[in-house]
Amino acid sequence: MGKTLSEKILSLKAGREVKANEVVTVSPDFVLSHDNSAAIIQEFRQIGLKKVAAPEKIVIVLDHVVPAASEKHALNHKIIREFVEEQKLPHFFDIEAGVCHQVFCEQGFALPGLLITGSDSHTTTYGAFGAMAIGIGRTEMASIWATDEIWLRVPETIKFNLKGKLQPGVMSKDVILRLIGDLGAEGANYKAVEFAGEAVASLSMESRMVMTNMAAEMGAKNGYFEPDALCLEWLRGRARKEFEVIYSDPDANYEAIYEYDLSSLEPQVACPHSVDNVKKVNEVAGTSFNQALLGTCTNGRLEDLEMAVRILKGKRINRRIRMLVLPASRQVYLEALKRGWLEILAEAGAVILNPGCGPCLGAHMGVLAPGEVALSTANRNFKGRMGSRDSAIYLASPATVAASALEGQIVDPRSYL
Amino acid sequence: MKIIKGRVWILIDEQGRLIEDIDTDQIYHNAYLHITDISQMGQYALGNLKGYEDFPLKVGQGDIIIAGRNFGAGSSRQQAVDCFLALKIGAIIAPSFSPIYWRNAINSGLAVLRCHHLNDLVSNHRLESGDILEVNVHSGEAFNITKKIAFSIEPMSPVQLAIYLAGNLFAYGRQMVRQG
Repeated sequence: MGKTLSEKILSLKAGREVKANEVVTVSPDFVLSHDNSAAIIQEFRQIGLKKVAAPEKIVIVLDHVVPAASEKHALNHKIIREFVEEQKLPHFFDIEAGVCHQVFCEQGFALPGLLITGSDSHTTTYGAFGAMAIGIGRTEMASIWATDEIWLRVPETIKFNLKGKLQPGVMSKDVILRLIGDLGAEGANYKAVEFAGEAVASLSMESRMVMTNMAAEMGAKNGYFEPDALCLEWLRGRARKEFEVIYSDPDANYEAIYEYDLSSLEPQVACPHSVDNVKKVNEVAGTSFNQALLGTCTNGRLEDLEMAVRILKGKRINRRIRMLVLPASRQVYLEALKRGWLEILAEAGAVILNPGCGPCLGAHMGVLAPGEVALSTANRNFKGRMGSRDSAIYLASPATVAASALEGQIVDPRSYL
Repeated sequence: MKIIKGRVWILIDEQGRLIEDIDTDQIYHNAYLHITDISQMGQYALGNLKGYEDFPLKVGQGDIIIAGRNFGAGSSRQQAVDCFLALKIGAIIAPSFSPIYWRNAINSGLAVLRCHHLNDLVSNHRLESGDILEVNVHSGEAFNITKKIAFSIEPMSPVQLAIYLAGNLFAYGRQMVRQG
Protein backbone atom coordinates (compact mmCIF):
# COMPACT_ATOMS: atom_id res chain seq x y z
CA MET A 1 0.00 0.00 0.00
CA GLY A 2 1.36 3.40 -1.00
CA LYS A 3 1.41 6.64 0.93
CA THR A 4 -0.41 9.93 0.78
CA LEU A 5 1.42 13.23 0.40
CA SER A 6 1.05 13.91 4.14
CA GLU A 7 2.41 10.48 5.07
CA LYS A 8 5.37 10.98 2.74
CA ILE A 9 6.26 14.47 3.97
CA LEU A 10 6.05 13.40 7.61
CA SER A 11 8.04 10.20 6.88
CA LEU A 12 10.82 12.30 5.35
CA LYS A 13 10.74 14.70 8.28
CA ALA A 14 10.65 11.96 10.90
CA GLY A 15 13.41 9.96 9.21
CA ARG A 16 11.35 6.80 9.28
CA GLU A 17 8.36 5.37 7.41
CA VAL A 18 5.13 6.48 9.06
CA LYS A 19 1.47 5.92 8.29
CA ALA A 20 -1.76 7.63 9.31
CA ASN A 21 -2.47 7.81 13.04
CA GLU A 22 1.17 7.51 14.13
CA VAL A 23 2.62 10.34 16.19
CA VAL A 24 5.86 11.94 15.03
CA THR A 25 8.14 14.62 16.42
CA VAL A 26 9.36 16.75 13.53
CA SER A 27 11.04 20.01 12.68
CA PRO A 28 9.04 22.38 10.42
CA ASP A 29 10.65 24.18 7.47
CA PHE A 30 8.98 27.54 8.15
CA VAL A 31 6.73 28.81 10.92
CA LEU A 32 4.35 31.73 10.51
CA SER A 33 2.83 34.08 13.05
CA HIS A 34 1.15 37.49 12.83
CA ASP A 35 0.03 40.08 15.38
CA ASN A 36 -0.33 37.22 17.86
CA SER A 37 3.48 37.13 17.90
CA ALA A 38 3.19 39.54 20.84
CA ALA A 39 1.51 36.83 22.92
CA ILE A 40 3.92 34.19 21.59
CA ILE A 41 6.85 36.37 22.65
CA GLN A 42 5.35 36.59 26.13
CA GLU A 43 5.19 32.78 26.33
CA PHE A 44 8.65 32.39 24.83
CA ARG A 45 10.07 34.70 27.51
CA GLN A 46 8.49 32.54 30.21
CA ILE A 47 10.41 29.51 28.96
CA GLY A 48 13.54 31.39 29.94
CA LEU A 49 15.59 30.96 26.76
CA LYS A 50 17.62 33.88 25.41
CA LYS A 51 17.53 32.92 21.72
CA VAL A 52 15.04 31.29 19.39
CA ALA A 53 16.24 27.94 18.06
CA ALA A 54 15.96 28.65 14.32
CA PRO A 55 15.55 32.36 13.47
CA GLU A 56 15.77 31.69 9.72
CA LYS A 57 12.57 29.63 9.87
CA ILE A 58 10.43 32.27 11.58
CA VAL A 59 8.19 34.37 9.35
CA ILE A 60 6.22 37.19 10.99
CA VAL A 61 3.68 39.31 9.12
CA LEU A 62 1.73 42.08 10.84
CA ASP A 63 -1.76 41.99 9.34
CA HIS A 64 -4.59 41.55 11.81
CA VAL A 65 -5.00 45.13 12.96
CA VAL A 66 -2.94 47.32 10.65
CA PRO A 67 -2.27 50.16 11.04
CA ALA A 68 -2.78 49.84 14.79
CA ALA A 69 -6.33 50.73 15.81
CA SER A 70 -5.59 51.43 19.47
CA GLU A 71 -2.74 52.01 21.87
CA LYS A 72 -2.82 48.35 22.93
CA HIS A 73 -2.55 47.16 19.32
CA ALA A 74 0.28 49.63 18.76
CA LEU A 75 2.09 48.33 21.83
CA ASN A 76 1.77 44.74 20.59
CA HIS A 77 3.27 45.76 17.24
CA LYS A 78 6.10 47.57 19.03
CA ILE A 79 6.88 44.51 21.17
CA ILE A 80 7.07 42.41 17.99
CA ARG A 81 9.35 44.84 16.14
CA GLU A 82 11.70 44.98 19.13
CA PHE A 83 11.80 41.20 19.35
CA VAL A 84 12.52 40.90 15.61
CA GLU A 85 15.44 43.28 16.09
CA GLU A 86 16.72 41.55 19.21
CA GLN A 87 16.56 38.04 17.73
CA LYS A 88 17.75 39.15 14.29
CA LEU A 89 14.78 37.52 12.58
CA PRO A 90 15.33 37.82 8.83
CA HIS A 91 11.74 37.34 7.64
CA PHE A 92 9.68 40.16 9.11
CA PHE A 93 6.95 41.95 7.17
CA ASP A 94 5.55 45.11 8.71
CA ILE A 95 2.10 46.64 8.29
CA GLU A 96 2.49 47.53 4.63
CA ALA A 97 2.91 43.95 3.34
CA GLY A 98 -0.61 42.52 3.50
CA VAL A 99 -2.39 39.46 4.83
CA CYS A 100 0.08 36.87 6.12
CA HIS A 101 -1.17 33.99 3.97
CA GLN A 102 -0.89 35.95 0.73
CA VAL A 103 2.46 37.46 1.69
CA PHE A 104 3.84 34.07 2.74
CA CYS A 105 3.01 32.63 -0.70
CA GLU A 106 4.09 35.65 -2.76
CA GLN A 107 7.40 35.74 -0.93
CA GLY A 108 8.14 32.12 -1.82
CA PHE A 109 7.91 30.44 1.59
CA ALA A 110 5.04 28.14 0.56
CA LEU A 111 6.79 25.42 -1.42
CA PRO A 112 6.12 21.81 -2.46
CA GLY A 113 7.06 19.14 0.05
CA LEU A 114 7.66 21.54 2.94
CA LEU A 115 6.20 21.18 6.42
CA ILE A 116 4.87 24.53 7.57
CA THR A 117 3.10 25.43 10.79
CA GLY A 118 1.40 28.73 11.47
CA SER A 119 -0.36 30.19 14.47
CA ASP A 120 -3.38 30.96 12.35
CA SER A 121 -6.09 28.53 11.35
CA HIS A 122 -5.91 29.44 7.66
CA THR A 123 -2.28 28.36 7.40
CA THR A 124 -3.78 25.49 5.39
CA THR A 125 -3.62 27.88 2.40
CA TYR A 126 -0.04 26.84 1.54
CA GLY A 127 -1.19 23.37 0.57
CA ALA A 128 -2.09 24.98 -2.78
CA PHE A 129 1.61 24.58 -3.54
CA GLY A 130 1.90 20.99 -2.34
CA ALA A 131 3.16 21.87 1.14
CA MET A 132 1.84 20.28 4.31
CA ALA A 133 0.66 23.38 6.16
CA ILE A 134 -0.97 23.19 9.56
CA GLY A 135 -2.56 25.74 11.89
CA ILE A 136 -1.47 25.61 15.51
CA GLY A 137 -1.88 27.73 18.65
CA ARG A 138 0.25 30.21 20.50
CA THR A 139 1.79 27.87 23.07
CA GLU A 140 2.90 25.44 20.39
CA MET A 141 4.43 28.26 18.39
CA ALA A 142 6.39 29.45 21.43
CA SER A 143 7.47 25.86 21.92
CA ILE A 144 8.67 25.60 18.29
CA TRP A 145 10.56 28.89 18.59
CA ALA A 146 12.30 27.34 21.61
CA THR A 147 12.90 23.79 20.40
CA ASP A 148 12.48 23.77 16.59
CA GLU A 149 10.21 20.75 17.03
CA ILE A 150 6.54 19.84 17.17
CA TRP A 151 4.63 16.62 17.72
CA LEU A 152 2.03 15.78 15.09
CA ARG A 153 -0.35 12.95 14.46
CA VAL A 154 -0.11 11.75 10.88
CA PRO A 155 -3.55 12.48 9.42
CA GLU A 156 -5.82 10.21 7.43
CA THR A 157 -6.74 11.68 4.04
CA ILE A 158 -10.02 12.46 2.32
CA LYS A 159 -9.79 12.93 -1.43
CA PHE A 160 -12.01 15.09 -3.61
CA ASN A 161 -11.92 14.03 -7.25
CA LEU A 162 -12.98 17.06 -9.26
CA LYS A 163 -13.93 16.82 -12.91
CA GLY A 164 -15.55 19.09 -15.46
CA LYS A 165 -15.11 22.82 -15.96
CA LEU A 166 -16.72 25.67 -14.04
CA GLN A 167 -19.30 27.77 -15.85
CA PRO A 168 -18.47 31.48 -16.36
CA GLY A 169 -19.28 33.34 -13.14
CA VAL A 170 -18.84 30.24 -11.00
CA MET A 171 -15.60 30.30 -9.04
CA SER A 172 -13.48 28.01 -6.90
CA LYS A 173 -15.10 29.67 -3.88
CA ASP A 174 -18.39 28.10 -4.97
CA VAL A 175 -16.67 24.72 -5.18
CA ILE A 176 -15.20 24.83 -1.70
CA LEU A 177 -18.43 26.16 -0.20
CA ARG A 178 -20.31 23.22 -1.75
CA LEU A 179 -17.75 20.72 -0.40
CA ILE A 180 -17.95 22.22 3.10
CA GLY A 181 -21.73 22.22 2.92
CA ASP A 182 -21.73 18.54 2.00
CA LEU A 183 -19.02 17.36 4.39
CA GLY A 184 -19.94 19.61 7.33
CA ALA A 185 -17.90 21.93 9.55
CA GLU A 186 -16.24 19.00 11.28
CA GLY A 187 -16.33 16.63 8.31
CA ALA A 188 -12.56 16.55 7.95
CA ASN A 189 -11.58 17.08 11.61
CA TYR A 190 -7.94 16.10 12.25
CA LYS A 191 -7.67 14.90 8.62
CA ALA A 192 -5.92 15.93 5.42
CA VAL A 193 -7.96 16.75 2.33
CA GLU A 194 -6.55 16.27 -1.16
CA PHE A 195 -8.06 18.21 -4.06
CA ALA A 196 -7.44 16.20 -7.20
CA GLY A 197 -8.88 15.19 -10.55
CA GLU A 198 -8.88 16.47 -14.11
CA ALA A 199 -10.57 19.76 -13.17
CA VAL A 200 -7.56 20.91 -11.16
CA ALA A 201 -5.58 21.81 -14.28
CA SER A 202 -8.18 24.45 -15.15
CA LEU A 203 -7.94 26.13 -11.73
CA SER A 204 -5.46 29.00 -11.36
CA MET A 205 -3.09 29.02 -8.38
CA GLU A 206 -5.20 31.83 -6.93
CA SER A 207 -8.31 29.66 -7.24
CA ARG A 208 -6.54 26.75 -5.58
CA MET A 209 -5.47 28.96 -2.67
CA VAL A 210 -9.13 29.76 -2.01
CA MET A 211 -9.86 26.07 -1.54
CA THR A 212 -6.88 25.18 0.64
CA ASN A 213 -7.54 28.33 2.68
CA MET A 214 -11.06 27.12 3.42
CA ALA A 215 -10.09 23.49 4.05
CA ALA A 216 -9.79 24.75 7.63
CA GLU A 217 -13.55 25.32 7.63
CA MET A 218 -14.24 21.60 7.34
CA GLY A 219 -11.89 21.01 10.26
CA ALA A 220 -8.99 19.78 8.14
CA LYS A 221 -5.49 19.64 9.58
CA ASN A 222 -4.14 20.38 6.10
CA GLY A 223 -5.50 20.61 2.58
CA TYR A 224 -3.48 20.40 -0.62
CA PHE A 225 -3.19 20.15 -4.37
CA GLU A 226 -0.38 18.18 -5.92
CA PRO A 227 2.03 20.54 -7.69
CA ASP A 228 1.70 20.68 -11.49
CA ALA A 229 3.39 22.73 -14.22
CA LEU A 230 1.25 25.77 -13.40
CA CYS A 231 2.30 25.59 -9.75
CA LEU A 232 5.99 25.28 -10.57
CA GLU A 233 5.73 28.17 -13.02
CA TRP A 234 4.10 30.33 -10.31
CA LEU A 235 6.99 29.54 -7.97
CA ARG A 236 9.70 30.38 -10.49
CA GLY A 237 11.75 33.29 -9.17
CA ARG A 238 9.94 33.25 -5.83
CA ALA A 239 11.10 30.07 -4.08
CA ARG A 240 13.13 30.86 -0.97
CA LYS A 241 14.81 27.49 -0.79
CA GLU A 242 15.34 24.24 -2.63
CA PHE A 243 12.37 21.94 -2.58
CA GLU A 244 11.41 18.46 -3.63
CA VAL A 245 7.99 17.90 -5.17
CA ILE A 246 6.05 15.22 -3.30
CA TYR A 247 3.04 13.42 -4.72
CA SER A 248 0.64 10.90 -3.22
CA ASP A 249 1.30 7.37 -4.43
CA PRO A 250 -1.28 6.05 -6.94
CA ASP A 251 -2.14 3.25 -4.50
CA ALA A 252 -2.24 5.49 -1.42
CA ASN A 253 -4.86 4.75 1.17
CA TYR A 254 -7.70 7.27 1.39
CA GLU A 255 -10.28 7.26 4.14
CA ALA A 256 -12.89 8.40 1.63
CA ILE A 257 -13.02 9.58 -1.98
CA TYR A 258 -15.76 11.94 -3.16
CA GLU A 259 -16.48 12.67 -6.83
CA TYR A 260 -17.68 16.09 -8.02
CA ASP A 261 -18.60 17.37 -11.47
CA LEU A 262 -17.88 21.09 -11.50
CA SER A 263 -19.64 21.77 -14.79
CA SER A 264 -23.09 21.59 -13.20
CA LEU A 265 -22.18 23.62 -10.11
CA GLU A 266 -24.22 26.77 -9.44
CA PRO A 267 -23.01 29.75 -7.38
CA GLN A 268 -23.21 28.98 -3.65
CA VAL A 269 -23.67 30.97 -0.45
CA ALA A 270 -22.84 30.05 3.15
CA CYS A 271 -25.71 31.43 5.23
CA PRO A 272 -25.52 32.64 8.85
CA HIS A 273 -24.06 31.50 11.21
CA SER A 274 -21.92 28.57 10.13
CA VAL A 275 -19.77 27.95 7.07
CA ASP A 276 -21.46 24.61 6.39
CA ASN A 277 -24.92 26.21 6.12
CA VAL A 278 -24.52 26.29 2.35
CA LYS A 279 -27.29 26.98 -0.17
CA LYS A 280 -27.45 27.77 -3.86
CA VAL A 281 -27.42 31.52 -4.46
CA ASN A 282 -30.80 31.18 -6.14
CA GLU A 283 -32.31 29.82 -2.91
CA VAL A 284 -31.46 33.05 -1.07
CA ALA A 285 -31.73 35.46 -4.00
CA GLY A 286 -33.38 38.70 -2.96
CA THR A 287 -31.91 38.71 0.53
CA SER A 288 -30.92 42.26 1.41
CA PHE A 289 -27.73 43.25 3.18
CA ASN A 290 -25.85 46.35 4.33
CA GLN A 291 -22.19 45.78 3.68
CA ALA A 292 -20.29 43.99 0.91
CA LEU A 293 -16.73 42.88 1.58
CA LEU A 294 -14.49 41.93 -1.34
CA GLY A 295 -11.04 40.73 -0.36
CA THR A 296 -9.27 38.97 2.55
CA CYS A 297 -6.88 36.00 2.49
CA THR A 298 -9.65 33.97 0.88
CA ASN A 299 -10.60 36.15 -2.10
CA GLY A 300 -8.47 39.28 -2.22
CA ARG A 301 -6.26 38.34 -5.15
CA LEU A 302 -6.04 39.78 -8.65
CA GLU A 303 -8.47 37.36 -10.27
CA ASP A 304 -11.00 38.21 -7.56
CA LEU A 305 -10.64 41.95 -8.08
CA GLU A 306 -10.76 41.42 -11.84
CA MET A 307 -14.06 39.59 -11.52
CA ALA A 308 -15.53 42.51 -9.57
CA VAL A 309 -14.12 44.99 -12.10
CA ARG A 310 -15.78 43.12 -14.96
CA ILE A 311 -19.12 43.34 -13.19
CA LEU A 312 -18.85 46.88 -11.78
CA LYS A 313 -16.99 48.78 -14.52
CA GLY A 314 -18.85 51.96 -15.43
CA LYS A 315 -21.65 51.18 -13.00
CA ARG A 316 -22.63 52.42 -9.56
CA ILE A 317 -23.27 49.99 -6.68
CA ASN A 318 -26.63 50.25 -4.95
CA ARG A 319 -26.78 53.34 -2.73
CA ARG A 320 -27.92 51.33 0.28
CA ILE A 321 -24.79 49.17 0.17
CA ARG A 322 -21.43 50.01 1.70
CA MET A 323 -18.80 48.13 -0.27
CA LEU A 324 -15.32 47.53 1.13
CA VAL A 325 -12.45 46.30 -1.02
CA LEU A 326 -9.56 44.73 0.86
CA PRO A 327 -6.75 43.56 -1.44
CA ALA A 328 -4.85 40.61 0.03
CA SER A 329 -1.42 42.19 -0.20
CA ARG A 330 0.61 45.21 -1.22
CA GLN A 331 1.63 43.40 -4.41
CA VAL A 332 -2.01 42.81 -5.30
CA TYR A 333 -2.88 46.40 -4.38
CA LEU A 334 -0.09 47.86 -6.52
CA GLU A 335 -0.89 45.70 -9.51
CA ALA A 336 -4.61 46.51 -9.27
CA LEU A 337 -3.66 50.18 -9.00
CA LYS A 338 -1.50 50.03 -12.13
CA ARG A 339 -4.22 48.27 -14.08
CA GLY A 340 -6.72 50.96 -13.10
CA TRP A 341 -8.93 48.48 -11.26
CA LEU A 342 -8.94 50.33 -7.95
CA GLU A 343 -10.11 53.42 -9.78
CA ILE A 344 -12.95 51.50 -11.42
CA LEU A 345 -14.01 50.02 -8.07
CA ALA A 346 -13.76 53.38 -6.28
CA GLU A 347 -15.80 55.02 -9.03
CA ALA A 348 -18.41 52.34 -8.60
CA GLY A 349 -18.70 53.48 -4.98
CA ALA A 350 -16.43 51.04 -3.14
CA VAL A 351 -14.14 52.04 -0.29
CA ILE A 352 -10.60 50.77 -0.94
CA LEU A 353 -8.90 49.65 2.28
CA ASN A 354 -5.24 48.94 2.87
CA PRO A 355 -4.29 45.24 2.70
CA GLY A 356 -4.85 43.48 6.02
CA CYS A 357 -7.44 41.48 7.95
CA GLY A 358 -9.45 44.39 9.45
CA PRO A 359 -13.16 43.94 8.83
CA CYS A 360 -13.04 40.16 8.25
CA LEU A 361 -12.54 39.58 11.93
CA GLY A 362 -14.41 42.62 13.17
CA ALA A 363 -11.20 44.19 14.40
CA HIS A 364 -11.63 47.61 12.81
CA MET A 365 -12.53 49.31 9.52
CA GLY A 366 -16.09 48.30 8.79
CA VAL A 367 -17.47 46.76 11.95
CA LEU A 368 -21.17 45.79 11.76
CA ALA A 369 -23.92 47.37 13.89
CA PRO A 370 -26.65 45.31 15.62
CA GLY A 371 -29.09 43.92 13.09
CA GLU A 372 -26.80 44.51 10.11
CA VAL A 373 -25.96 41.92 7.48
CA ALA A 374 -22.75 41.51 5.49
CA LEU A 375 -22.15 39.66 2.23
CA SER A 376 -18.47 38.77 2.22
CA THR A 377 -15.87 36.89 0.22
CA ALA A 378 -14.11 35.87 3.47
CA ASN A 379 -13.93 32.39 4.93
CA ARG A 380 -15.88 32.57 8.16
CA ASN A 381 -19.40 33.67 9.09
CA PHE A 382 -19.54 32.88 12.78
CA LYS A 383 -22.13 34.86 14.68
CA GLY A 384 -20.84 38.31 15.50
CA ARG A 385 -17.49 37.80 13.82
CA MET A 386 -17.59 41.10 11.94
CA GLY A 387 -18.89 43.19 14.81
CA SER A 388 -22.10 43.20 16.84
CA ARG A 389 -23.19 39.82 18.14
CA ASP A 390 -26.55 40.58 16.56
CA SER A 391 -25.16 40.91 13.06
CA ALA A 392 -25.04 38.24 10.37
CA ILE A 393 -22.71 37.24 7.55
CA TYR A 394 -23.29 35.51 4.20
CA LEU A 395 -20.21 34.16 2.42
CA ALA A 396 -19.96 33.99 -1.37
CA SER A 397 -17.63 34.36 -4.35
CA PRO A 398 -16.28 37.71 -5.59
CA ALA A 399 -18.65 37.46 -8.56
CA THR A 400 -21.68 37.01 -6.34
CA VAL A 401 -20.59 39.79 -3.97
CA ALA A 402 -19.96 42.28 -6.81
CA ALA A 403 -23.22 41.55 -8.66
CA SER A 404 -25.17 41.64 -5.40
CA ALA A 405 -23.61 44.97 -4.39
CA LEU A 406 -24.80 46.37 -7.70
CA GLU A 407 -28.37 45.23 -7.06
CA GLY A 408 -28.56 45.79 -3.29
CA GLN A 409 -29.65 42.22 -2.78
CA ILE A 410 -28.18 38.76 -3.23
CA VAL A 411 -28.26 37.75 -6.92
CA ASP A 412 -26.88 35.02 -9.15
CA PRO A 413 -23.87 36.65 -10.87
CA ARG A 414 -23.95 34.54 -14.03
CA SER A 415 -26.11 36.94 -15.99
CA TYR A 416 -23.82 39.88 -15.19
CA LEU A 417 -20.83 38.54 -17.13
CA MET B 1 -4.40 9.09 40.06
CA LYS B 2 -6.10 12.27 38.83
CA ILE B 3 -9.81 12.62 39.43
CA ILE B 4 -11.57 15.76 38.21
CA LYS B 5 -14.60 16.67 40.30
CA GLY B 6 -16.84 19.62 39.71
CA ARG B 7 -20.22 21.16 39.20
CA VAL B 8 -21.65 20.67 35.74
CA TRP B 9 -22.57 23.46 33.30
CA ILE B 10 -24.39 22.18 30.28
CA LEU B 11 -24.41 24.48 27.25
CA ILE B 12 -27.87 23.93 25.78
CA ASP B 13 -30.07 25.90 23.41
CA GLU B 14 -33.67 27.00 23.98
CA GLN B 15 -34.91 23.53 23.00
CA GLY B 16 -32.70 21.92 25.62
CA ARG B 17 -30.27 20.44 23.07
CA LEU B 18 -26.50 20.55 23.44
CA ILE B 19 -25.19 23.45 21.38
CA GLU B 20 -22.99 22.19 18.54
CA ASP B 21 -20.19 23.96 16.65
CA ILE B 22 -19.61 26.51 19.42
CA ASP B 23 -16.97 28.51 17.58
CA THR B 24 -14.05 30.57 18.74
CA ASP B 25 -15.92 33.82 18.13
CA GLN B 26 -18.70 32.72 20.47
CA ILE B 27 -16.15 31.59 23.06
CA TYR B 28 -13.89 34.63 22.85
CA HIS B 29 -14.78 37.52 20.60
CA ASN B 30 -12.36 39.29 18.29
CA ALA B 31 -12.86 42.55 20.11
CA TYR B 32 -10.65 41.32 22.97
CA LEU B 33 -7.86 39.61 21.01
CA HIS B 34 -5.36 42.36 21.82
CA ILE B 35 -5.37 41.31 25.49
CA THR B 36 -2.22 39.33 26.35
CA ASP B 37 -2.74 39.00 30.13
CA ILE B 38 -4.55 35.68 30.69
CA SER B 39 -6.01 36.79 34.02
CA GLN B 40 -7.97 39.47 32.10
CA MET B 41 -9.54 36.98 29.67
CA GLY B 42 -11.96 35.14 31.95
CA GLN B 43 -14.53 37.92 31.95
CA TYR B 44 -15.09 37.46 28.19
CA ALA B 45 -15.54 33.66 28.17
CA LEU B 46 -18.63 32.65 26.15
CA GLY B 47 -19.48 36.33 25.98
CA ASN B 48 -20.80 35.92 22.47
CA LEU B 49 -22.80 32.72 23.04
CA LYS B 50 -26.52 33.44 23.19
CA GLY B 51 -27.89 32.81 26.67
CA TYR B 52 -24.47 32.54 28.30
CA GLU B 53 -23.28 36.14 28.21
CA ASP B 54 -23.13 36.22 32.03
CA PHE B 55 -21.35 32.87 32.30
CA PRO B 56 -18.12 34.29 33.80
CA LEU B 57 -20.08 35.88 36.64
CA LYS B 58 -21.88 32.66 37.57
CA VAL B 59 -19.30 29.96 36.97
CA GLY B 60 -17.20 28.64 39.84
CA GLN B 61 -13.67 27.37 40.13
CA GLY B 62 -13.42 23.70 39.09
CA ASP B 63 -16.76 23.67 37.26
CA ILE B 64 -17.07 21.28 34.32
CA ILE B 65 -18.47 22.48 30.97
CA ILE B 66 -20.50 20.10 28.82
CA ALA B 67 -20.97 21.08 25.17
CA GLY B 68 -22.09 19.72 21.80
CA ARG B 69 -19.92 18.31 19.04
CA ASN B 70 -17.12 20.26 17.33
CA PHE B 71 -16.46 22.57 20.27
CA GLY B 72 -13.95 25.31 19.49
CA ALA B 73 -14.46 25.40 15.72
CA GLY B 74 -12.63 28.08 13.79
CA SER B 75 -9.78 30.32 14.74
CA SER B 76 -6.50 29.19 16.29
CA ARG B 77 -6.81 31.98 18.87
CA GLN B 78 -5.65 30.52 22.13
CA GLN B 79 -7.60 33.10 24.11
CA ALA B 80 -10.54 30.75 23.56
CA VAL B 81 -8.71 28.27 25.82
CA ASP B 82 -7.06 30.82 28.10
CA CYS B 83 -10.36 32.38 29.10
CA PHE B 84 -11.38 29.06 30.69
CA LEU B 85 -7.98 28.67 32.36
CA ALA B 86 -8.48 32.15 33.82
CA LEU B 87 -11.82 31.01 35.28
CA LYS B 88 -10.13 27.83 36.55
CA ILE B 89 -12.59 25.57 34.72
CA GLY B 90 -12.03 21.93 35.71
CA ALA B 91 -12.72 20.34 32.35
CA ILE B 92 -14.64 20.65 29.10
CA ILE B 93 -16.42 17.55 27.87
CA ALA B 94 -17.91 17.30 24.37
CA PRO B 95 -18.53 14.58 21.76
CA SER B 96 -15.78 16.16 19.64
CA PHE B 97 -13.54 19.21 19.46
CA SER B 98 -12.12 21.12 16.53
CA PRO B 99 -8.52 19.97 15.95
CA ILE B 100 -6.66 23.20 16.69
CA TYR B 101 -8.75 23.85 19.79
CA TRP B 102 -8.06 20.31 20.95
CA ARG B 103 -4.29 20.78 20.68
CA ASN B 104 -4.36 24.25 22.20
CA ALA B 105 -6.28 22.96 25.20
CA ILE B 106 -4.01 19.96 25.70
CA ASN B 107 -0.88 22.09 25.41
CA SER B 108 -2.26 24.63 27.88
CA GLY B 109 -3.17 22.01 30.43
CA LEU B 110 -6.93 22.49 30.13
CA ALA B 111 -8.66 19.12 30.50
CA VAL B 112 -10.63 18.42 27.31
CA LEU B 113 -12.41 15.09 27.18
CA ARG B 114 -14.48 13.37 24.53
CA CYS B 115 -17.71 11.57 25.30
CA HIS B 116 -19.75 10.25 22.39
CA HIS B 117 -23.01 9.66 24.23
CA LEU B 118 -23.38 13.10 25.80
CA ASN B 119 -26.43 13.89 23.69
CA ASP B 120 -28.28 10.87 25.11
CA LEU B 121 -27.20 11.62 28.67
CA VAL B 122 -28.42 15.20 28.41
CA SER B 123 -31.67 14.52 26.54
CA ASN B 124 -32.57 11.78 29.04
CA HIS B 125 -31.82 14.12 31.95
CA ARG B 126 -29.15 11.79 33.26
CA LEU B 127 -26.77 14.74 33.31
CA GLU B 128 -28.03 18.21 34.20
CA SER B 129 -26.56 21.58 35.03
CA GLY B 130 -25.71 21.77 38.71
CA ASP B 131 -24.97 18.04 39.08
CA ILE B 132 -21.67 17.12 40.66
CA LEU B 133 -19.58 15.02 38.29
CA GLU B 134 -16.45 13.02 38.92
CA VAL B 135 -14.15 11.93 36.07
CA ASN B 136 -11.15 9.63 36.14
CA VAL B 137 -8.99 10.92 33.28
CA HIS B 138 -6.85 7.76 33.27
CA SER B 139 -9.63 5.22 32.92
CA GLY B 140 -12.39 7.32 31.43
CA GLU B 141 -14.82 6.38 34.18
CA ALA B 142 -17.30 9.15 34.91
CA PHE B 143 -19.78 9.26 37.77
CA ASN B 144 -22.65 11.69 38.25
CA ILE B 145 -22.58 11.89 42.05
CA THR B 146 -25.82 13.84 42.28
CA LYS B 147 -27.85 11.31 40.28
CA LYS B 148 -25.69 8.26 41.04
CA ILE B 149 -25.24 7.43 37.36
CA ALA B 150 -22.02 6.03 35.93
CA PHE B 151 -20.97 6.47 32.30
CA SER B 152 -17.78 6.38 30.30
CA ILE B 153 -15.74 8.96 28.47
CA GLU B 154 -12.63 8.56 26.29
CA PRO B 155 -9.63 8.42 28.61
CA MET B 156 -6.81 10.85 27.88
CA SER B 157 -4.17 9.60 25.46
CA PRO B 158 -0.69 9.02 26.98
CA VAL B 159 0.70 12.29 25.53
CA GLN B 160 -2.32 14.29 26.63
CA LEU B 161 -2.24 12.77 30.09
CA ALA B 162 1.47 13.45 30.51
CA ILE B 163 1.09 17.10 29.48
CA TYR B 164 -1.99 17.53 31.65
CA LEU B 165 -0.36 16.01 34.74
CA ALA B 166 2.76 18.13 34.21
CA GLY B 167 0.59 21.26 34.00
CA ASN B 168 1.14 22.31 30.39
CA LEU B 169 3.40 21.75 27.39
CA PHE B 170 6.30 23.76 28.83
CA ALA B 171 6.22 22.06 32.23
CA TYR B 172 6.10 18.75 30.38
CA GLY B 173 9.09 19.82 28.25
CA ARG B 174 11.06 20.75 31.35
CA GLN B 175 10.32 17.33 32.86
CA MET B 176 11.59 15.69 29.68
CA VAL B 177 14.79 17.74 29.85
CA ARG B 178 15.35 16.82 33.51
CA GLN B 179 14.86 13.16 32.77
CA GLY B 180 17.38 13.53 29.94
